[in-house]
Amino acid sequence: MKNVKTILTLSALSLALGACSTGITKSRNLGNPNVTGNTLAQQVCSVCHGNIGNSVNGNSVNPTFPNLAGQQKDYLVAQMTAFHEKTRKDPAAQQMMWGIARNFTPKQIDELATFYSNQKPLPNPAHGNAALIAEGQKIFNEGLLDKGVPACMGCHGSSGEGNGVIPRLAGQHANYVYKQLNVFDRDAKTSDGKENVPDSALERPTGGVMEMVASALTKEQKRAMAAYVQSLR
Amino acid sequence: MKVSNLLGKAKGSALLLLGTASVVVSMDANAIPVFARQTGFKCVACHVGGMFPQLTSLGRMFKLTGYTMGNRPNLDGLEVQNDYPPVAIMVQGAKQYYNNTRAGQGTPSSSADLQVVSLFAGGKITDNFGAFMQWTGQKYANLQSGSQVGYNAAAIDNTEFRYADRTVTPNSDLILGAYINNRAMMSDVWNNFGAWESGWINYFNPGGPLAPTTYMMGESSQHAAVGVGGYFFKDKTWYGELAVYKSPTHGPFSMLTAGTTSVGNTAVTSLLEPSPYFRFAYNKEWGANSFEAGIHGMMSYVYGTPLYGAPAATNSLPGGPASAYHDVGLDAQYQYVLDPHYFAAHARVTRELMNNTPGQANWEGLFATNATDNLTETYIDATYVYEAKYGAQLSYASATGSNDAGLYGAGTALNPATGAYSATGSPNWRSWTPNIFWQPYQNLRIGYMYTFYTEMGGVNSGSNVTFGVGGPKFSPANFNTSMLYVGFIY
Repeated sequence: MKNVKTILTLSALSLALGACSTGITKSRNLGNPNVTGNTLAQQVCSVCHGNIGNSVNGNSVNPTFPNLAGQQKDYLVAQMTAFHEKTRKDPAAQQMMWGIARNFTPKQIDELATFYSNQKPLPNPAHGNAALIAEGQKIFNEGLLDKGVPACMGCHGSSGEGNGVIPRLAGQHANYVYKQLNVFDRDAKTSDGKENVPDSALERPTGGVMEMVASALTKEQKRAMAAYVQSLR
Repeated sequence: MKVSNLLGKAKGSALLLLGTASVVVSMDANAIPVFARQTGFKCVACHVGGMFPQLTSLGRMFKLTGYTMGNRPNLDGLEVQNDYPPVAIMVQGAKQYYNNTRAGQGTPSSSADLQVVSLFAGGKITDNFGAFMQWTGQKYANLQSGSQVGYNAAAIDNTEFRYADRTVTPNSDLILGAYINNRAMMSDVWNNFGAWESGWINYFNPGGPLAPTTYMMGESSQHAAVGVGGYFFKDKTWYGELAVYKSPTHGPFSMLTAGTTSVGNTAVTSLLEPSPYFRFAYNKEWGANSFEAGIHGMMSYVYGTPLYGAPAATNSLPGGPASAYHDVGLDAQYQYVLDPHYFAAHARVTRELMNNTPGQANWEGLFATNATDNLTETYIDATYVYEAKYGAQLSYASATGSNDAGLYGAGTALNPATGAYSATGSPNWRSWTPNIFWQPYQNLRIGYMYTFYTEMGGVNSGSNVTFGVGGPKFSPANFNTSMLYVGFIY
């Protein structure tokens, strides 16, 4: 029995000792401004936004979480800032990113954006419906003239690579893109026919152009768009 | 204040439930329990469809990294925003219905009552050390979920301190951790076992007698033993865990069993020899799916007790364990998590080999007839939740094993007033429990569940289940029980 007590006591001691070694390079503390963006990316963000199985950070597995690898740095900064300030308030943002970003410092945001924009995006392994992809490709390249929808490639780039605060779409999860198109659509309905709609009434207040696009698309066209950009590499 | 007084004041709690609902309506959307306060997440981030206790991939990683993700003050003395106190409260109320009026129960339904109050505390303590602490008071003897044995009792509930170190490189992700807790399998992150099994709510006042359970999965070791364990999780794929449990009789570890037990005190375990527990699992995540399959087991060396009127001479203390239970099982989980659809299913089979000492009272005060017995326990469930609001669950539980008149036969029940048995001494049980629930707010869950007993004591049909010594006979279906319940957490 003495042996058992010794083992239990030693285990407890080692737990206590381990607890005291703070190790800021492996911290999951979202309230400590001294934790670097790289550490947060590894210890926290990677849980949802991907790290293993593809050897690359920022390629997420579950479509709930967008791929971040290779995303435009300016876009990442803008979104993390919007989560931090709670100005972007689509449901998923509120469920997760508001909490994650609530104590982010501008320095951490910049480090995280640099980190993820430098990761290598991988082709999305999901298989889209070929007919949907073809339909989406047509809209992406040509727009919908009769509805006043401009070609997506005009802003997002011919291969969906994005530019500055215009996000990269290539390889993004279709489910995520579809849900965000619906967010813009809801915002369009909120602002429809009204002047001076306050930003606080909108889920993504910086998405004015996308409101116009999303509100012109049918449900199937949104799915087509999402399927197409997911298939881009 | 005594819990009995506290709970007594909650009588007539139909009003209380209504009041609860109205509080929720006016509540700050961010005002949610301990870990949510720490992370800023909504429930749905870590729980499948927002339905605790089932964990999503994120929830599993939160636990495996020692409850340390988030922003809370740490020992570095940093200035950190800490909006909410790291405590939470959960209350559960219910009204139960029994299939018929029986001896010992009196009425076909219970009154609507506030039946369980839990306090939670814990979370991040340092960068790699955290805690989960629960204290529970309940109105009725909660025979099924263990812990606070007895009427009007309050005691420590699931409590764990965990240390975790995670190393992430471009090619590898390795979590190494250790824990001290007061419940074997409290460390579970796939909701296959005891404390976190997806059928999260029990009948507070069990309508019928209780199904036999393996020692490992049963409530026997719950909160009455303290375990120290270590684990690894490699590349979100391979999981391994080893622990040793033992009932502390004194000393600092007995804090972890405070109020629940001390040896020779109440109807609880006497796990006085170190009893090892292990688990290995494979985990795979792809798209919105995740899958786990694993093996688990525990070897428990359990002293008998003189607690049930057994003559002191037959008490095995301190000569050595009266029983050794060797349990090994397989477990699996599948999940699909992509709003608005949330689905989870679990399957588990645990087989127990019992080494009894005929002539000596076991921990329950029972005298086994056979030197060895076996018992196989099966649990299967499936849960679907839509929009994190509307849910349905179906679960199936069964036990099969060798007949032992001493353990399961006439007159063996712990309490003759509420025990049932069959003439054969068979442990065979089977039940189905559909459960529907609605979560209008993430803090509030309202549901209705019904349990169908299709086999009891080896009796499938006919009125051959005896209730109470020399009591009336019933069919298994006579024990069917249902419950309308409300759970609120803040």
